[in-house]
Amino acid sequence: MKLELGKIQIQDVVAGAEEKIEANILYINPETIVDIVLEDDRLAECSVEIAKPGESVRITPVKDVIEPRCKVDSSSGIFPGVINKVDTVGGGRTHVLKGCGVMTVGKIVGFQEGIVDMKGPGAELTPFSKLIEICLVLEPKEEIEPHQYEEAARFAGLKIADYLGRLGESIEPDEIVTYETLPLQEQLAQFPELPKVGYIYMLQTQGLLHDTYVYGTDAKHIVPTILYPTEIMDGAIVSGNCVSACDKNTTYHHLNNPVIEDLYQKHGKELNFIATIITNETVYLKDKQRSSDFVAKLSEFLGLDGVIISQEGFGNPDTDLIMNCKKLEEKGIKTVIVTDEYAGRDGASQSLADADKLADAVVTGGNANETVKLPKLDKVIGQLDYVDVIAGGFDGSLKEDGSIEVEIQAITGSTNELGFNQMSAKGV
Amino acid sequence: MVKEIEKTGIPVVHICTVVPISLTVGANRIVPAVAIPHPLGNPNLDAKDEKKVRRSIIEKSLEALTTPVEEQTVFE
Repeated sequence: MKLELGKIQIQDVVAGAEEKIEANILYINPETIVDIVLEDDRLAECSVEIAKPGESVRITPVKDVIEPRCKVDSSSGIFPGVINKVDTVGGGRTHVLKGCGVMTVGKIVGFQEGIVDMKGPGAELTPFSKLIEICLVLEPKEEIEPHQYEEAARFAGLKIADYLGRLGESIEPDEIVTYETLPLQEQLAQFPELPKVGYIYMLQTQGLLHDTYVYGTDAKHIVPTILYPTEIMDGAIVSGNCVSACDKNTTYHHLNNPVIEDLYQKHGKELNFIATIITNETVYLKDKQRSSDFVAKLSEFLGLDGVIISQEGFGNPDTDLIMNCKKLEEKGIKTVIVTDEYAGRDGASQSLADADKLADAVVTGGNANETVKLPKLDKVIGQLDYVDVIAGGFDGSLKEDGSIEVEIQAITGSTNELGFNQMSAKGV
Repeated sequence: MVKEIEKTGIPVVHICTVVPISLTVGANRIVPAVAIPHPLGNPNLDAKDEKKVRRSIIEKSLEALTTPVEEQTVFE
């Protein structure tokens, strides 16, 4: 499967009556956007606000961030099975609006939504401060249940990312990058001398607003399976989760997964990137055992020499991570795990809830319990009244002077377990 | 908590969904629970069947508590 990813660099976003991309500027019409969002009768209100890097703006509670994309000359669309018809994606050509994101914001769904500052110490902890954010500030109808609101908010973000992405369909991209993975036998034969490497992509699926969707299906009900990595770049995986902001994978993270990007960069040079195996993180022990059995079995079946395993979230998923690692190592397949830590505010506690001596190669995204002081910013998009209760916040987090003291857990993407952040720790 | 209480000489049964974590942290008597969001019950069952599940977990735990163990033991 071969995907051409055409990148259109967006240098500014301008709101007005026109909708187009011209000279790398994206023109959007907030009225049209609001009309599309409010087609969903579960939402009462929507407003569109733009936040730019360096502005004195705090956005919270942030639910998801989505990069606008579209399929070019294709009968299929991005986010198949969710907002476009179910159809295999990952081949052909896709255009991407780089440098901007659609961000869903507004009244909290669960207790694990995040903060994004566009300026100051908070901005340094999130990759989303570096994008021009098109914020959809949502208000649900009073009578709807939290899970219905979560779905409505999720669909709103995906629909607008799809809508804006289509403005780029006929634009000549600034850069085109090609990614290709061959059917298994051909892929094995292409670089027979290189180590065969796979990627084990763990998806958060604990339910109760902690869910991820694959081609529209709830991933808690899948058994691990194989995807071409390019399918993920076309939105085969979308986030539906309100896990701690710091280490949830937003849909933006899925679309731009840095593990996949880096494996492709080394593909044919240092290694032979064979496949991505997706798996879940469930709440029943037997499901954890079955899924990790399948991960090990599929990896063995593909003849992999080594894998990278990334986690999403923390706590009991640490067990899924360790089970995957252990069962693979026991089959002689080398592993590196990518995770983050909850080691207490002083960093002195045990980092993961589970451990095994076979997990001897670890990349960390940082300690989520570290605290940070965020100065008052001039403008708030969304609302601040949930800061004390979101994960990472505590009683008194929101100070009278408008500043905030929180664990970095509350900052969207701060300790991301795909490595989509700056923070890490190095050791021997 | 399990280990701190046992230090005083009182035996403890850890009822826990994720048995591997319980093994990692060093519990000696472990009884598997139902699921992480509902360890001691199952909202998918009707009240009568759920009571059976709850009773069986408690009975198993009491049995574990009175069973001498030489090493970490999971009472399946």
